[in-house]
Amino acid sequence: MSALRAHDIVKWYGDLEVLRGVTFEVEPGQVKCIIGPSGSGKSTLLRILASLETPERGTVTLEDRAPGPGEVGMVFQRFNLFNNMSALDNVMCGLVEVRGLKKAAAREQATAFLERVGLADHASKFPDELSGGQQQRVAIARALVMKPKAMLFDEATSALDIELVREVLDVMEALARDGMTMVVVTHEMRFAQHVASSVLMMDEGRIVEEAPPDEFFSSPKEERTQRFLALVE
Amino acid sequence: MLASFDSHLFWAALSSGPYWRGALLALEVTAASLATAIVIGFFVALGNFSPRRWVRSVAWIYNWLFRATPTLLQLFIIWYALPQLWTGFAGSWFTPFMAAWIALSLNEGAYMSEIIRAGLLSVDPGQELAGRALGMKRRQILRRVVVPQAVRIAIPPTGNEFITLLKLTSLASIISLHEILTSAQELAVVKFQYPEPLLAALLYYLAIVSVLMVLQSRLERRFTWSSHRGRGRRIQAPAVPAISHDAR
Repeated sequence: MSALRAHDIVKWYGDLEVLRGVTFEVEPGQVKCIIGPSGSGKSTLLRILASLETPERGTVTLEDRAPGPGEVGMVFQRFNLFNNMSALDNVMCGLVEVRGLKKAAAREQATAFLERVGLADHASKFPDELSGGQQQRVAIARALVMKPKAMLFDEATSALDIELVREVLDVMEALARDGMTMVVVTHEMRFAQHVASSVLMMDEGRIVEEAPPDEFFSSPKEERTQRFLALVE
Repeated sequence: MLASFDSHLFWAALSSGPYWRGALLALEVTAASLATAIVIGFFVALGNFSPRRWVRSVAWIYNWLFRATPTLLQLFIIWYALPQLWTGFAGSWFTPFMAAWIALSLNEGAYMSEIIRAGLLSVDPGQELAGRALGMKRRQILRRVVVPQAVRIAIPPTGNEFITLLKLTSLASIISLHEILTSAQELAVVKFQYPEPLLAALLYYLAIVSVLMVLQSRLERRFTWSSHRGRGRRIQAPAVPAISHDAR
């Protein structure tokens, strides 16, 4: 049984066909990294997996049914924390609003998750008082606290200063070790190499190639993948 | 050269019952109208974003109607014309206060909708996306995330609106609402002496607006999201395009 599955997804933005029949699945506990040039449809695929957009054709299933609220966690490039809430309130929000938890119970769980991303001391700080790396870790805790069956990362480190990338990647790696099912759109080739169960290359709305990382990086089969890897390495 | 300034008359005016009651009435009309206008403005602002074309049209026509016509004319229509068109408005309940409240609410609602619209637009759409990814409903995102941040942006221009409205209540002296200006005029006519009564009225407006400015800055601090709220530094709200009040 696949954890998260997209079947034959077609998506149009006006006259532009961004996804041209993409079929894709992740097994429980797998980490799939998606790479590819900008405009290849990676982010759109992620948004469709997170039910943030509706495709023109195709279906998304989580354990063979429609995903429920908060069951597929999403982490964005620009963090997207709620600016009017403290770090703790950001993490609590989903528990209170979506899961209907009492404040005290939600606070307890949220604190535990902030601790897990190493930010228990920063619980009362507001987003504009946190560094980019800290904000992104709060965003990860906010998604995790909902107990998602899968986590999606949309270029989660691309907006960060170079010295802050590591702390976020560390959290993501720890998550992968704990057996979280993950789909990671990234430009971090070393992360893909070390953490991914398999790596996908996307271009022009299609999956060009998929292979285990060793094979993908050492001997890519497709000419398009070879060209892209030559460019980024 | 000062011909005559009767300081007794000035102090008598300043502390007189009609002035106090006039000021209170002006404040009541202002507060009631602004509160109603914020509610109207919120729904009109949401109407602007509606996917339904007719809803957007209604919102547009409302704004156009009330911003393109003089406030005084609107006040006259509500007070004089409405009871003749609709006998329901001819009853004793329809006082100058009610007429001023209705007219100023409708007028101000159009301006507030623009302020609220700018506030809602100022909130980064990424936050809404994040809320949806958590499984929050649109209503919840609006209430918990978007509206509080929009309020922060809307406070300074709304303070301006309060001041504008307070001054507009003086128009209602024409439909015999006994606000400050009416009291000043009556006193001036009786005493046949203008400087003291009018200066006293002026001071009332200054005092009310000063108190308001203090309240506004407190409110702004209340809506500043920082763990050391209001101490040390102030976070500036992004600039909102000013809406001109010329010739209202």
